[in-house]
Amino acid sequence: MNKILSTVMLLLLILSGIGCSQAPTPAPSSAQNQSFESALAKAKGTTVNFYGWGGDERINQWIDTQLAPKIKENYDITLKRVPMDIDQILNKLLGEKQAGKSKGPMDMVWINGENFSTAMKSQLLYGPFTQELPNFKKYIDQNSKEVQYDFGYEIKGYEAPYGKAQFVLINDSAVTPETPKNAQELLAFAKKYKGKVTYPAPPDFTGSAFVRNIIYDIVGYDKIASIGNDKEKLKIALQPAMDYLKELSPYLWQEGITYPASIAQVDNMFADGELVMTVSYNSNSVAGMIGTGRFNNTSRSFIFDKGMIGNCNYLGIPAKASNREGALVVINAILSPDIQASKYDAKNWGDLPVLDNNKLNSQEKQLFSNIPLGKGVIPQDQLLQKRLPELSADLIPVIEEVWQSQIPGKK
Amino acid sequence: MDHSKLKPYVMILPVVLLMGVFIYSLLNTLIQSFGILPAAGLNKWTLSYYQAVLSRGDLFPSLQLSLYYSLVSSILAVILGVLMSALAVSSGFTRKKLFQIFKVPIIVPHLVAALLILNLFSQSGIISRVLYQLNWVQSPQQFPSVLFDSHALGIILAYLWKEVPFVILMVVTIMEKIDGSIGEAAVNLGASKFKTFYSITLPLCLPTIYTSFLLVFAYSFGAFEIPFLLGMTSPKALPVLAYVEFTYPDLSHRPYAMALNGIMVVLSVMLTYIYYRIFKKGQKAKAGEDYQ
Repeated sequence: MNKILSTVMLLLLILSGIGCSQAPTPAPSSAQNQSFESALAKAKGTTVNFYGWGGDERINQWIDTQLAPKIKENYDITLKRVPMDIDQILNKLLGEKQAGKSKGPMDMVWINGENFSTAMKSQLLYGPFTQELPNFKKYIDQNSKEVQYDFGYEIKGYEAPYGKAQFVLINDSAVTPETPKNAQELLAFAKKYKGKVTYPAPPDFTGSAFVRNIIYDIVGYDKIASIGNDKEKLKIALQPAMDYLKELSPYLWQEGITYPASIAQVDNMFADGELVMTVSYNSNSVAGMIGTGRFNNTSRSFIFDKGMIGNCNYLGIPAKASNREGALVVINAILSPDIQASKYDAKNWGDLPVLDNNKLNSQEKQLFSNIPLGKGVIPQDQLLQKRLPELSADLIPVIEEVWQSQIPGKK
Repeated sequence: MDHSKLKPYVMILPVVLLMGVFIYSLLNTLIQSFGILPAAGLNKWTLSYYQAVLSRGDLFPSLQLSLYYSLVSSILAVILGVLMSALAVSSGFTRKKLFQIFKVPIIVPHLVAALLILNLFSQSGIISRVLYQLNWVQSPQQFPSVLFDSHALGIILAYLWKEVPFVILMVVTIMEKIDGSIGEAAVNLGASKFKTFYSITLPLCLPTIYTSFLLVFAYSFGAFEIPFLLGMTSPKALPVLAYVEFTYPDLSHRPYAMALNGIMVVLSVMLTYIYYRIFKKGQKAKAGEDYQ
């Protein structure tokens, strides 16, 4: 009995091998919709292994209890979430490539920034695939900088947007009625509430983003972005922003001689009333903080008129994915208004949607406007209007070095 | 085959394994600091990372800061620890169950100690709040900023809270033994309590005191979490500087962090050597030799 079974298995394996070797004739670009139809058919009844960071219980919950059941129901695909840090994912993909394996266990990965550029340089990803997805063509703004570049690295269709984060400033309307609209108003704000404003010292992720946001406000995003990757020119161009931060520093907490090492400390001091302002790279965080009772009910986020820095995170398909069709179907589904709205709901995850508001019909817009806005949160359409892209990942350490050498300490 | 010959080797195995892991990572650090990191495409031996690190302007202030707070906190910890041990032994407090409470800070992680100091001494901390309730200060800003200052008071306080109990743990048992045997003999022969402590107990405890000083000094010189949480943004303590370099997103930057670690290793070895020289002299000069 066992022998028969193993013979059958072997035959199946050989047959499937033949099937594989015949398949990869690339579909002609004119028949893309047809190829997606065939992916839909092929993916039915399969499992998609989704690898990504698993450090946030709310995100895991959303994938397991909202996303996966919808995928199962609509496409008969089992979505299996495998929590793994991105550096391990890259090491695993690299190891599989070096071992010469033709198929790996990962079908879909959550990725962005320098990890994406590392994966591209080592040719670990499949693509370009975004043009194969009907929802990508229907709902995504193809000309948006964030769809074309990931932290300054050209995407070329090798990853599809998944979610967005945006930087906001936070204060308490019961303590401070003002919401500074630009860097100069922030300076006046700091003078009025002397010693009660500060920001985390770079290279803290959030503190570093605050400094970049100041640079955008003082120097202008376009001017900084036009410099490209020239580090020396960047140092000269951002000097006015450093001069501003120097002017600001005597009015800050500890007279700007020293800065908190982490955003957690700034949040704590804000909650304690030692500070009157904090910052966050998650535009929804204030609602969460009010919800847990750490921040007062009257806390609210506010943004600069010239815009706030934002980043995007993406989904990619490994070059050696076993279930490429399944991954295409799942990514297409994630780009639907229904799933993006469920992801945006602060009850679930509270992550900003990646769809272009202008491409939604009134019914689809309704999906988003029906979701109750969290306390102190700015609506997503207002945020997305005032959104500025991240700089190239190579330049961020340069800015951090300049800050470190000029701003903290006794001057 | 004679098993008893094998026995010592088997028994030493866990230590060898532990040392193996330690030596492996130490060698790895040093190799990377000389620019060998194939994963980042670096394959050439070079001293350029050490040159770059040694010539940067913030290295010397960082080194000064690290030496300053580890020396001050270790010396104070030893003095306070020995004094408290002496008081506890002479008053008979060591025999009480309550005395064991001194061990609590030893089990508490350094990270928690840093948060504790932060909660107590920050301008919106517990002490400041109590003083506010008593109307001694009118606002958090009036409370002196003990933390994040250029005297590294917060760092020293946190280390003291961790290290004084450690010194007591090391010293108190041996002190109790001496006090009970030779000490009593001395008192019987007419020596005063102070005289007994100064001429008999203290010299006999010196080897242990030296050892505990070295341990707390080496730890505070190399540890990262307390200066990271309680230190100033500039200058940064040496371990914090190494951490910042280590978290630099570009992998080819890693050797800079490792070169900083290499400098810390060299300094620690040098200081240990100096310590052993002093320790040897101290041991010969004091009564410890006879006792042992």
